[in-house]
Amino acid sequence: MNKNQIPVGPFHPLLEEAEYFNITVEGETVTDIEMDIGWMHRGHEFISEQKTFTQSIFLVERICGICSTSHPIACVHAIEDIDNVEIPLRARYIRTLVAELERIHSHLLWLGLAGHFIGYDTLWMWAWKYREPILQMFEIISGNRNHYGMMRVGGVARDVDVDKIAALSKILDQVDEKMEMIAKAANDDPVLKSRLQGVGILKHQDAVNFCAVGPTARASGVKIDVRKDEPTDAYDLVDFKVIVLKNGDVYDKTVVRLLEIFESSKIIRQCMKKLRTANGPILNSVKEIPPGEGIGRYEAPRGEVFHYMRSDGSNRPIRHKVRAPSFNNIPTYIASCKGIPLADALITLAAVDPCYCCTERAIRINHSAEGAQPIDLLRLSREKTERIRRTIHGA
Amino acid sequence: MAKMDQFFAEMGGLIGKTIRKPKRIYFDVDKNNLTQVVEYLFNRMHCRLSTATATETYHNLEVLYHFSHDASGDYYCPRVLITDKQKPAIPSITPIVRGAEWIEREMFDFWGIEFIGHPNLIRLLARDHPQGLDKPLRFRRDK
Repeated sequence: MNKNQIPVGPFHPLLEEAEYFNITVEGETVTDIEMDIGWMHRGHEFISEQKTFTQSIFLVERICGICSTSHPIACVHAIEDIDNVEIPLRARYIRTLVAELERIHSHLLWLGLAGHFIGYDTLWMWAWKYREPILQMFEIISGNRNHYGMMRVGGVARDVDVDKIAALSKILDQVDEKMEMIAKAANDDPVLKSRLQGVGILKHQDAVNFCAVGPTARASGVKIDVRKDEPTDAYDLVDFKVIVLKNGDVYDKTVVRLLEIFESSKIIRQCMKKLRTANGPILNSVKEIPPGEGIGRYEAPRGEVFHYMRSDGSNRPIRHKVRAPSFNNIPTYIASCKGIPLADALITLAAVDPCYCCTERAIRINHSAEGAQPIDLLRLSREKTERIRRTIHGA
Repeated sequence: MAKMDQFFAEMGGLIGKTIRKPKRIYFDVDKNNLTQVVEYLFNRMHCRLSTATATETYHNLEVLYHFSHDASGDYYCPRVLITDKQKPAIPSITPIVRGAEWIEREMFDFWGIEFIGHPNLIRLLARDHPQGLDKPLRFRRDK
């Protein structure tokens, strides 16, 4: 059978961010996939080395709009790791509270997009509608809906007082109710199950070989979660489960994220309960960072985010390495996309929740892509769902 | 901790200067011993490669690998010093750890380090750059 190449990107209405895929197909089956990135690289590591330690935290916050707490947390962990800085108890709970809220809003964002890709626009509207209250919670905590500016070396910038906690609790109660509704709707829908089960399987061994992280790895049975493996902040003081499934398909990746929303909610409630009683400072004064090197990591919604800092004793890092989870997860497409029908390619690509802002951290124009004919993968994907729906419901 | 001691007992002969911190261990490895150490960390200890950091210092280039031992939360960081700054080259670990492919390509792109044995050593991020970069970005830092 003839091989055909389907170029997707780098700028395409289907893709939220700039990336380029060259998908090789034989008939309807994907036989190979090549990825080309580099359109979003902004040189964050080099810029950070021109900034002071405190400025670096604000810089890394702007790597990604979705992970705008995960990067700063990993960054402050790296700086604190150089000198083993102690964090006040209250600050530890506040960090955990903000970080878990971020996980809920990120997972809801993904869930909405996944719904849209397979033709479930109701799920998309619901998920994004109920993400709004979470953003309001951020506004109550920090004054911002995104880029919260909460992290500092040695603690946090703002306190969350009792009045704020009361307002947050009220919103969280409403969100929990709606999450159960969405989870039930997703779990009980036979069309969704038929559409996603067995699609884009990432085998356990492939997840290990590609060093996948986060929900992508956990859905393939790799039990890794930085929150449990190296508990920092308040993660050793709260009770929660790590969700691990074994099939590695898109359905399992969806379920992992859905269940993680409930675990996050559980953690947030525990933190809010403790914040009512655990009084004390929220910031330890750190005057200087001695020479040395430190590793900071944090379990972002997409997996482990990694920062490495090296100090020479001055007020700025001489090396700052940033590795976002999508950098490790995107190459797993090579394993998960081969052999699948073209209509499933889109949802498989989306299932790792790729974030190119994070991955590349330049702007590049690809001249060779001129004249490439785009193909509407979104339409293919949605049509397949419609076929399954008609078969099941007999319409 | 037991794992760390066992690592030292078995690999001690291959590693040089060591810095131990709580949950972190940084150690020098000669480039000729790198694949042996990585093989032990990845296949025997089931560590996961988080990433690798290339750094330019006054005298050297260095590559610091970060292996996470998730069962214990420890980090094992082998450090390879490269003295030849004009033509830096070390063995690739991609044949052992598949996930190192992009990590090594990024270092090749920005730092010009050649990874011998890498299956597909092409620039990762700055390929087809509009300004036509003809040398690694590290040479552009002082501009």
